[in-house]
Amino acid sequence: MSKINRRDFIKIAAAASSVAALSFPSIARAGAKAKVVVIGGGYGGATAAKYVKMLDGNIDVTLIEPNPIYISCPLSNEVVVGHRDIGTLSIGYDGLKTRGVKILHDYVTGVDRARKVVNTQGGKTLPYDALVMSPGVEFRYVGIEGYNESMINDIPHAWKAGPQTLLLKKQLEAMPDGGKFVIVVPKGPFRCPPGPYERASLVANYFKHHGKTKSKVIILDANDSHSKKGLFNQAWAKMYGWEKEGLGTNGMIEWVKGAEGGAVTKLDAKTKTVSSDFIDVKADVLNIIPPHKAGKIAADTGLTGKEGNNFEQGWCKVEPMTMASALDPNVYVVGDACVAGEMALYGNPNAAFDMPKSAHIGMAQAKVAAAAIVAKVNGLPPPDPIYANTCFSIVGDNYGFSVAHLYRVQGGTFKYIKEGSGVSPMAMPDKSPVPDIYRKLEAEYADGWLRNVMADAFV
Amino acid sequence: MKLKLCTLLAILGLASGATPAADIEGIARACNSCHGTGGVSVGLSMPSIAGLSESYLKNIMMEWKSGTRASANMTRLIKGYTDEEIAGVAAYYAKQPWKAQPQSAPADLLVKAKEATERCETCHGATGGQPDDADTPMLAGQWSRYLELELVKYRDEGFQMTHKKMIKNARKLEEGDVATAAKFYGAQSK
Ligand SMILES: Cc1cc2nc3c(=O)[nH]c(=O)nc-3n(C[C@H](O)[C@H](O)[C@H](O)COP(=O)(O)OP(=O)(O)OC[C@H]3O[C@@H](n4cnc5c(N)ncnc54)[C@H](O)[C@@H]3O)c2cc1C
Ligand code: HEC
Ligand code: HEC
Repeated sequence: MSKINRRDFIKIAAAASSVAALSFPSIARAGAKAKVVVIGGGYGGATAAKYVKMLDGNIDVTLIEPNPIYISCPLSNEVVVGHRDIGTLSIGYDGLKTRGVKILHDYVTGVDRARKVVNTQGGKTLPYDALVMSPGVEFRYVGIEGYNESMINDIPHAWKAGPQTLLLKKQLEAMPDGGKFVIVVPKGPFRCPPGPYERASLVANYFKHHGKTKSKVIILDANDSHSKKGLFNQAWAKMYGWEKEGLGTNGMIEWVKGAEGGAVTKLDAKTKTVSSDFIDVKADVLNIIPPHKAGKIAADTGLTGKEGNNFEQGWCKVEPMTMASALDPNVYVVGDACVAGEMALYGNPNAAFDMPKSAHIGMAQAKVAAAAIVAKVNGLPPPDPIYANTCFSIVGDNYGFSVAHLYRVQGGTFKYIKEGSGVSPMAMPDKSPVPDIYRKLEAEYADGWLRNVMADAFV
Repeated sequence: MKLKLCTLLAILGLASGATPAADIEGIARACNSCHGTGGVSVGLSMPSIAGLSESYLKNIMMEWKSGTRASANMTRLIKGYTDEEIAGVAAYYAKQPWKAQPQSAPADLLVKAKEATERCETCHGATGGQPDDADTPMLAGQWSRYLELELVKYRDEGFQMTHKKMIKNARKLEEGDVATAAKFYGAQSK
């Protein structure tokens, strides 16, 4: 592929094909090197940059990311409980550089979509033919009276991996036996739908291994259901004495749904007491995960909006065939910042069919965007996209499970493909219990998955 | 130059003519997330699939799809692809170069393993790198952690595998030799 001479290619394509009109006008006219700029060097952005370069080495690709090292959120819950060193989740951008991607460590302050240029804090102005936007999420510190961003050094979210993760780890380690580790879960959509419950599981596992068996993990959930609920409950019953929903049960993990007081509205930061209409819970370690919206630059660029359901909460709507923004054909939004399909809200009867906010699906989206961009640069129509996701959760020693999602585009809309999707089995077809080996294998595969996604995105 | 155009069309999955054939390259890009870029894994528990034989790749995926073969993961996701797409990705990965990733192992383990893997030689070759037919996968330089987990699967009566002879052979290994055999094959370069 690297040997393709784009200029020859364009000539042939233009002469031989009526689809030349699909190309970016400036490139088709001048035959100049196409410029792709990527905002954000997380899973989505890194993958997009790499795959554009891999598919057409002649495209000039620049990735803009302020941090020299990216720290993976996936499997960061293992860091919290001391099962994994944060170093294994950290990766730089040399791999992408070696592939010919230009790396600019800077922060994008604005995008002029009319002139097709990106402006950075460092004073740079970069023109683009296609822009990939993958800024991840921004937290909305609203909805809980008495809670604001300045408190995160005492009340960590640990929902962006790094110092926050290590802070939560330290607090967990310092917590005396009999203490309460409280996780406050916001209304969806939030990134990594199974993440809070994986965290709860691993914290309970930590209590078991550290002689803190009188301690509790309490999940106060703004939602009335959650990802892989059946599998989590089964695992919790097996390992952590789970009995049933609600406060005051005998198990190590307690889960309170929104309708029964889980939706926290108030915080007394001094005593770490969180309250809802029905209950007050005083925490020893308090982990508030704030609600999310698309990364700031997406909103600043006018790619989020208020029109229709999907826009209301500050996400970017995209074209299913290409991942281009519904509002700008030259800007592609991938990863957590976009909303693909319906809103992933639990309680929505279609929730199971919505694209989750995960690294895995963000990479799938990035690959679709990359192929669409390369096709367009070369005057070709976009190829048929495929979006596949798997989220593993590690919930105990040798115990993991997963959920898979597959989407295709049919009739111009995202279509959930039931046959290629679903959760790990709760029981075997003959109703017998799932043999332990299945759970062990998935715990093992989670680690293999992590190493491969990190490399597939950054190396 | 025509060839180049074809190459790009193929890579983007557009070389289909009138009927929009499945975008095989696009599907393969999705597989890469778990199996590594180009099917070369860097995750110890995940197999490299680049360069395995087409018939092995196709057969194993079709067994998962039809439900005759168990897998903790692959059975679920592979059901979302048509038979043609499965055949297409099998052909695609078979064309990618196999990349052995020899992992170091202690010398005494290698000596011990030679004995433990004697009965395996007829089908896999002395180093696991000379499979005797197209339905026998490469073992030499595959990730040993993955190979060990596969052997555990073949040995577990609750886990539905299909190849009777391989099942029998795996169950003949001494418990303590399972990891040894896996490490031995993982350490080979060809
Ligand atoms: C605890 C936890 C566990 C998780 N586990 C899993 C899992 O097991 N599997 C899974 O698939 N997913 C998991 N996820 C979800 C996963 O982390 C996200 O879905 C993924 O990181 C999304 O990638 P992204 O590129 O959209 O955003 P991010 O990875 O957040 O990257 C965004 C990047 O953009 C940069 N940026 C933002 N604004 C600008 C700007 N203006 N200019 C330049 N750069 C900018 C940021 O610095 C950042 O590096 C987990 C998340 C959490 C919190
Ligand atoms: C969510 C992660 C994941 C994705 C995505 C995935 N696989 Fe796999 N694959 C696995 C795991 C785990 C194994 C090993 C264990 C097993 O047999 O289930 C495996 C095994 C395989 C094997 C057997 C290799 C061998 O040596 O026997 C083949 C072939 C394969 N996958 C092909 C594919 C193809 C083709 C795709 C894309 C359509 C794909 N996989 C997508 C996780 C994945
Ligand atoms: C009769 C021939 C035969 C013998 C003998 C044999 N194997 Fe195999 N082996 C196979 C075949 C065929 C497969 C693929 C089977 C399948 O589809 O499940 C296989 C698969 C494997 C795999 C899984 C590889 C992968 O990529 O998933 C491992 C590991 C393995 N063999 C190890 C061994 C060991 C160790 C021995 C000796 C104890 C052995 N084999 C003996 C034929 C054989």
